[in-house]
Amino acid sequence: MARKILRGIPVSAGISIGKAYFVNRQRESRIPRETIPHHLVSIEVQRLRDAVETVRQGFVDARAKVPEELREHGAIIDSHLMICQDPKFIETAVKNIEDRAITAEWALERSINAIAKAFSAIDDPYIRDRIQDVRVVGDKIMQALIGTLKPIEAPAGRRVLVAHDLTPADTIELELSKIMSFATSEGGKTSHTGILARSLQIPAIVGVEDLESSIRDGDLVIIDALKGLIFIDPSEEELVHYGDRKYQFEDYQKAIVKQCHLPAETVDGYRLEVCANIELAEELVQVKDNGGEGVGLYRTEYAFFNKKEMPDEEKLYEEYATLAEQLSPGKVILRTLDVGADKLLDEQAALEEANPALGLRGIRFCLRYQEMFRMQLRAMLRSSVHGNVAIMFPMISGLKELRQARFVLNSVKSELDAEGLAYNPDIPVGIMIELPSAVMIADTLAREVDFFSIGTNDLIQYSLGIDRTNKHVSYLYQPLHPAIVRSIKFVIDAAHKEGIEASVCGEVASDPYCVPILMGMQVDGISIAPQAIPGIKRIIRQIDMEECIELLRDVLTHATVSRINTKVRKRIFKRFPEELSFFASLIEQDDITEP
Amino acid sequence: MEPTVENNSREVVVCVENELGLHARPAGKVAQLAQKFQAEIALCVDDQKADAKSILDILSLAAPQGTEICIKASGVDANAALEELSQLFDNNFEGEA
Repeated sequence: MARKILRGIPVSAGISIGKAYFVNRQRESRIPRETIPHHLVSIEVQRLRDAVETVRQGFVDARAKVPEELREHGAIIDSHLMICQDPKFIETAVKNIEDRAITAEWALERSINAIAKAFSAIDDPYIRDRIQDVRVVGDKIMQALIGTLKPIEAPAGRRVLVAHDLTPADTIELELSKIMSFATSEGGKTSHTGILARSLQIPAIVGVEDLESSIRDGDLVIIDALKGLIFIDPSEEELVHYGDRKYQFEDYQKAIVKQCHLPAETVDGYRLEVCANIELAEELVQVKDNGGEGVGLYRTEYAFFNKKEMPDEEKLYEEYATLAEQLSPGKVILRTLDVGADKLLDEQAALEEANPALGLRGIRFCLRYQEMFRMQLRAMLRSSVHGNVAIMFPMISGLKELRQARFVLNSVKSELDAEGLAYNPDIPVGIMIELPSAVMIADTLAREVDFFSIGTNDLIQYSLGIDRTNKHVSYLYQPLHPAIVRSIKFVIDAAHKEGIEASVCGEVASDPYCVPILMGMQVDGISIAPQAIPGIKRIIRQIDMEECIELLRDVLTHATVSRINTKVRKRIFKRFPEELSFFASLIEQDDITEP
Repeated sequence: MEPTVENNSREVVVCVENELGLHARPAGKVAQLAQKFQAEIALCVDDQKADAKSILDILSLAAPQGTEICIKASGVDANAALEELSQLFDNNFEGEA
């Protein structure tokens, strides 16, 4: 195949060079929708049953090979196996063949569609999504019928796995030890492939456009899952270059993890608190392994979603208390429920908001549905006796909202007093600064809270008026836009003036080019994804504060983003030429995507 | 479907204790167990009825925690089926979360 470079979303960092092993999982588009003569009906039924049996046997074999540490995957294959044996599923298809005298393929398609229709009416999103499993199984049976089911053989030697999408069953059928990396056309940041790749510690890129039409089985490819690039049929120089990079990266990775428990302190002694953003208690292991000092943002939404019933206070209390205990003396900042676009309540869904991003979300939601808010606050307060717990309100747009939220908090406190339940009466209370209005009144807000956490992801979107996932305007997502730099600085200054701390959570804080600028503003801490901690800590440990202040001063003199980006790139890159090549930065994209 | 309901159909009422309700894994366990029996087994919730041997049918009940389910069985081993199935519900699907 011709030499070509593709782009995708890197979901597990690393580099690999090798031959592509192509597993095409695209849905069959050539389904023979035909009627058949009646005397062939029984043969057609048998053909369907044979196909089902082939697929079922494949699952049984795959199941037997699941290693103990991937038990989750085993369970998913079990459910695929159950669907494969499901009387409703197959017998409906058989009945379709018999009653309508149609091909097995068409009958199967009708059967799947009928199930999909029934499932789409289910309220519980968790169960509704099981239709995906039905489709996975259905696709396999369809491929067996049409004759395109590829018996997945272990490739000779280690390979780069290329696929439309990967299901857990697919990945198990392959011998994982023979896979060096993944590339798929489907998938996003949170897809299953990424989770799997990270747990196996192999590079992976998902959401790659033109992947299937550009790569063929056996093509030599370079997977650069640091930048999200795939080189097909690379040149001699590229091969040499990436061969070196691969070793460099692996050495670097080992080195930073070894050093990640050292404090984030600059050469001249400026100390920064580096915490992690997480949403599950299970992620605590990662926080600790990567040298996180605490949790700067605990997203509490998870316990509320995918459940038919709301969690009760005891359950939340247990969740928060465990976190507090395990992190102590490190801190954990619990953010109150921040729901918006994903509707949590039926009555909320019934509101039919035209523009959820500007709608009933964050603290507005909590203040409207106070019963739930109070319950969560009770659990948070009660957990505070188990460690270093702080409470944070999201999406504060003005002083009144903050006061209302604090009023509810105080009333919950007196309730606990009356019941004789223990809590830390001095529990720190902070807010997210993520709306431009909150930035402008940061000085007033600072007088009434204990800390600020600047949520840059939302702040950038709301300040610049762009939806980052909208590809027509995503080039405008610029963390170093002068308006953003000034906003962050204004907030940090306002906090310090009132003697409170300001930290930054958001992707900016894990960007090696942006962190020195934040440090120049004397930010007190950052909170980032656990995996990003070792690399960022290492940058902090090598820089000195004077440099950061100087850099910020320079940045503030420039009027355009491109000028700032160029300057920052040059200066920081000169400082860490080796390290920076291992990061994908937010500020490198402007020259690529701008129309 | 069951012409002799009066004679050989038996039923028992169980409750879904599982926190997440009757989701994929518990549903899988129910179907797996039900498939071991010859009896025809149905799970009934209000006016909905699901074939206990079909995981897809069970899932489509979308029964949350606290749902009362009437298990009806008819056939030679109906008694044993009811006993084992109600035990599975009572044991909260063997501790399956």
